[in-house]
Amino acid sequence: MRRSFPIIVCFAFGIVMLAQFFIPSGFSSNVRSEITDWAQIIYASALIVGIVGLMKYHAIRISRRSDGWFYNLITILSLVFMAFIGFAFGRMDGSPFMWLFNYMMAPMQASVFSLLAFFVASAAYRGFQARNAEAVLLLASTVFIMFGIASVGNSIRPFSDIAVWILNNPSMAARRGIFIGVGLGTIAVSLRVILGVERTYLGKE
Amino acid sequence: MDFWDKIRHLDRRVIFILMVLGVGIPLVTRIGLPIRITPDVRRVYDFIEGLNPGEIILVSYDHDTGTLPEMIPMSDAILRHAFSKDLKIVGMALRAEGSGIGRQNIRRIAGEFGKEEGIDFVFLGYRPELTATILGLGSSIGRVFPKDDRGFLIEKLPLMQKVLNYGDIDLVISISDDDTPVYWINYANARFQAKIVPAVTAVMATTFFPFLNSHQAIGMVAGLKGAAEYEKLIGISGSAGRGMDAQSIAHLVVIGFIAVGNLAYFLGRKK
Repeated sequence: MRRSFPIIVCFAFGIVMLAQFFIPSGFSSNVRSEITDWAQIIYASALIVGIVGLMKYHAIRISRRSDGWFYNLITILSLVFMAFIGFAFGRMDGSPFMWLFNYMMAPMQASVFSLLAFFVASAAYRGFQARNAEAVLLLASTVFIMFGIASVGNSIRPFSDIAVWILNNPSMAARRGIFIGVGLGTIAVSLRVILGVERTYLGKE
Repeated sequence: MDFWDKIRHLDRRVIFILMVLGVGIPLVTRIGLPIRITPDVRRVYDFIEGLNPGEIILVSYDHDTGTLPEMIPMSDAILRHAFSKDLKIVGMALRAEGSGIGRQNIRRIAGEFGKEEGIDFVFLGYRPELTATILGLGSSIGRVFPKDDRGFLIEKLPLMQKVLNYGDIDLVISISDDDTPVYWINYANARFQAKIVPAVTAVMATTFFPFLNSHQAIGMVAGLKGAAEYEKLIGISGSAGRGMDAQSIAHLVVIGFIAVGNLAYFLGRKK
C-alpha cells in the first residue's frame, strides 16, 4: 500500500490534468484551479522540509567539526537571523529585513556573480586556443558574437551582421533541437511516471 | 623560459588588473559608445507604445539579487515607458528574492511619475511553484493572490477590480535570469494566448530566439545592451548606457586576451 497508493494518486492526477487541457469547460477550469492551488500548498510545505533538511545538514557538520564548519555555522545563523528579523519587524520598505536584503544580501550576491567576468577573462586567455577545427569554429563564433554585440562592433556592419546570422541560424537551430529533444523526453518521462513504470521518485524499496 | 612562454603563463593577477581597468574606467568616465537598436527591442517598445492609457502590463520579477545590475536597468526603462504612457502595472514575483526587488523597484519608478498604489499599480508578491502559479493566473488572479504584498484584499483595490485573469492583461513581461519566460510562453501564451516579452540576462538570450522566430514572444529585451537600447528609445540616459560602455570594453579586453593567448600558444609551439 505504501508504494501502490502514491502510484494511484499520481496516475489519477496525471490523467485528470492531461484531460483537462483538452476540455475547455467551466468544470475543467475549476478542477485545474483546485489542483494548482494544492500544488502550491504542497510546494510551500516542501520548502519547510527543505529548511529542516538544510539545518540538519549544517548542524551535523558543525557538531562533527568538519572542514569549514564555521561557514556552516554562519549559514545557520544567517538563516535564523533573517527569519527572526522578518517575522519580528516585518519586511516592508524601511524594515531591518529590507536593509539587510538591500545592503548585505544583494551586494554580496552581485559581487559573487561579477567575479565571473574575471574568471571568464582568465579562462579565455589560458584555455580558449585554436587547437583543432572544432575549437577554431567555437573561437571564431565567440569572437564575432562578442565583438558584434559589443557597442563598438555593433556599429560596424559586417561584424554585427555575422553575429546576428550566427545567433539566428546555427545557434537557433541547435536551440530548437534541444527544445524538441527536451519536449519529447518530458512527454516520455511523464507517461512513464503517470503509468507507474517510472518509480524512482518513490525512493528505495 | 622564453618570451612567449612567459606570456602564455602570465600571472592571472595581471589579467584581473586589466579587467578591473577595462570595467572601471568606462564606469568613471562616460565614453558614450554608440548603441544600435535591434529589432527585438524595437518590437517591445512599439508594442508598449501602441497600448492605450489604462491598459495593463503584468511584470513578473523572476530573478535573484545576483543579477540585479543587469536586470534593474531593464525594469527601470520599461516601467518608465509604461508609466509615462499612463499604463497600469501589476507586479508579482516567481522568485522569493524577486518579491523584495520588484516591490521596491515598481514603487520607486511609480514615485517618479506620481502614481498611486492600488490605482495605478499593484504589487502582488511572491508565489512558489511557477507552473501552478502561471496556470492559476489564467483562471483567476484573485485566487492565486487573494491579497497584495501589503496585505490588502485585492478585490478592494480599484485596479484589480478590472483585472480578473490574462484576458484583462495586455502584456506579460518576465524579468528573468533563467528560463522562467519559457514557462510563461508554454503556459500563459500557449494555453491562454497571453502576449509575452522575456526581459532576460544576455547569457539567456539565445534560449528565446526560437520563440521570437515563431512569434510566441512579442520581442525581447536582453541584458544590459537591451536595457541601453530601450533607454535610447525612450530618450533617457540611464545606468544601462554607462554599464554598456563598461561591458563593451570588457568584451574587447576578453577578445584581446583570446588573441594574445592564441598568439602565444602558436608562437610558443613553433619553438
